[in-house]
Amino acid sequence: MAEEDRESRLESFSFNMEDEFFGEKSFQHYCAEFIKHSQQIGDGWEWKTAKDCSDGYMCKTQFQIKNGTTTSHRGTPASVHTCLPTEENLELTVDDSEVMESAAASQVIKYEYHVVYSCSYQVPVLYFRASFLDGRPLALKDIWEGVHECYKTRLLQGPWDTITQQVWVTSFRMICFLVPSICLQIS
Amino acid sequence: MTDDKDVLRDVWFGRIPTCFTLYQDEITEREAEPYYLLLPRVSYLTLVTDKVKKHFQKAMRQEDVSEIWFEYEGTPLKWHYPIGLLFDLLASSSALPWNITVHFKSFPEKDLLHCPSKDAVEAHFMSCMKEADALKHKSQVINEMQKKDHKQLWMGLQNDRFDQFWAINRKLMEYPPEENGFRYIPFRIYQTTTERPFIQKLFRPVAADGQLHTLGDLLKEVCPSAVTAEDGEKKNQVMIHGIEPMLETPLQWLSEHLSYPDNFLHISIVPQSTD
Repeated sequence: MAEEDRESRLESFSFNMEDEFFGEKSFQHYCAEFIKHSQQIGDGWEWKTAKDCSDGYMCKTQFQIKNGTTTSHRGTPASVHTCLPTEENLELTVDDSEVMESAAASQVIKYEYHVVYSCSYQVPVLYFRASFLDGRPLALKDIWEGVHECYKTRLLQGPWDTITQQVWVTSFRMICFLVPSICLQIS
Repeated sequence: MTDDKDVLRDVWFGRIPTCFTLYQDEITEREAEPYYLLLPRVSYLTLVTDKVKKHFQKAMRQEDVSEIWFEYEGTPLKWHYPIGLLFDLLASSSALPWNITVHFKSFPEKDLLHCPSKDAVEAHFMSCMKEADALKHKSQVINEMQKKDHKQLWMGLQNDRFDQFWAINRKLMEYPPEENGFRYIPFRIYQTTTERPFIQKLFRPVAADGQLHTLGDLLKEVCPSAVTAEDGEKKNQVMIHGIEPMLETPLQWLSEHLSYPDNFLHISIVPQSTD
């Protein structure tokens, strides 16, 4: 997603440190606004309801192509370029020859993002999962490698304080978790 | 009369006699004898099994060894659950020792988190502690601590040092004198019979009228099917640290004395054992 769009959406979804706590109803209200905007710009966020209760969460899936699997640990973010918003658009928006050239030496990574309301922290938290197309999860160090430059310094100062592993209950899957204090900082 | 403080020690020093056996399909160069160990209930598998790993690796070739993982009767054991919780939930009705199978191949990606280092365990532990304090004190107590205090909590757990741990942890068990307890109680309720890994909700230790909520009140509110019996017969055991606390026990007391080092009450609901 374009940098400017992301920034403006985070602002409209923002809350500052003074009023950092709000309830689940407010969360659902702001999510509805967020998703409306996302639909207008074709950014792919959706609302999902949890299986056995009225709670819900926002989710989005994104695909990226990494150039060359062997350099994934040593590679820089410059080698990762965002390509396509959805799997369905894969054939429509990318030049076939481009895909063929890079496919041989590259890997498609699937990112799934979930924005969930945390009762414990009373703020939204971001869970995400990165995996190859065959379902194998990305190693945590490869995830850290892929973090955008502007957040890299913060991440490298304390990787485990920024992105850590947690199982998110409702989706029952292993998923990475952006610690809540960072969620507040980003907004 | 037992002092309440003695309960803290009894919880900390709880052990489970365990027998580790190498999975039969692992390729070995020589016979791998089972390995016996007393596992601390309050710790985590990947933190306390270095000796187990070394023992079995001695019988294998380097190239056949990758990330170790553990399994009990076909169920991969989540290292990020405390050991005592895993035992109560999966094996409490079986005879001792706890028989765990050791694997070095075919890591079950769908069931287990990888544990790349002790840093991963520390990060998970501290993340749980922070969440617990978010519930108890709106994170005020843990955020006021210095980084060295956080380190001391971790080192206390890692090195099995009760005094070192509780010197700091006691601050997380305090509450303002005008209140009767924490803001909310950090708890998780586990059942193997449900799809959901655990139940965690906001629950206050004190009712509006000032009465202390009990363990029974909590279960009735968040997990009623587990405890109410239509025919009067008790279906399930409600277990913490291998014991069944009375349902009349105040939840605040349980939180202060029977929490795991991560400050959560990890409660197992298991079918009533027949013996």
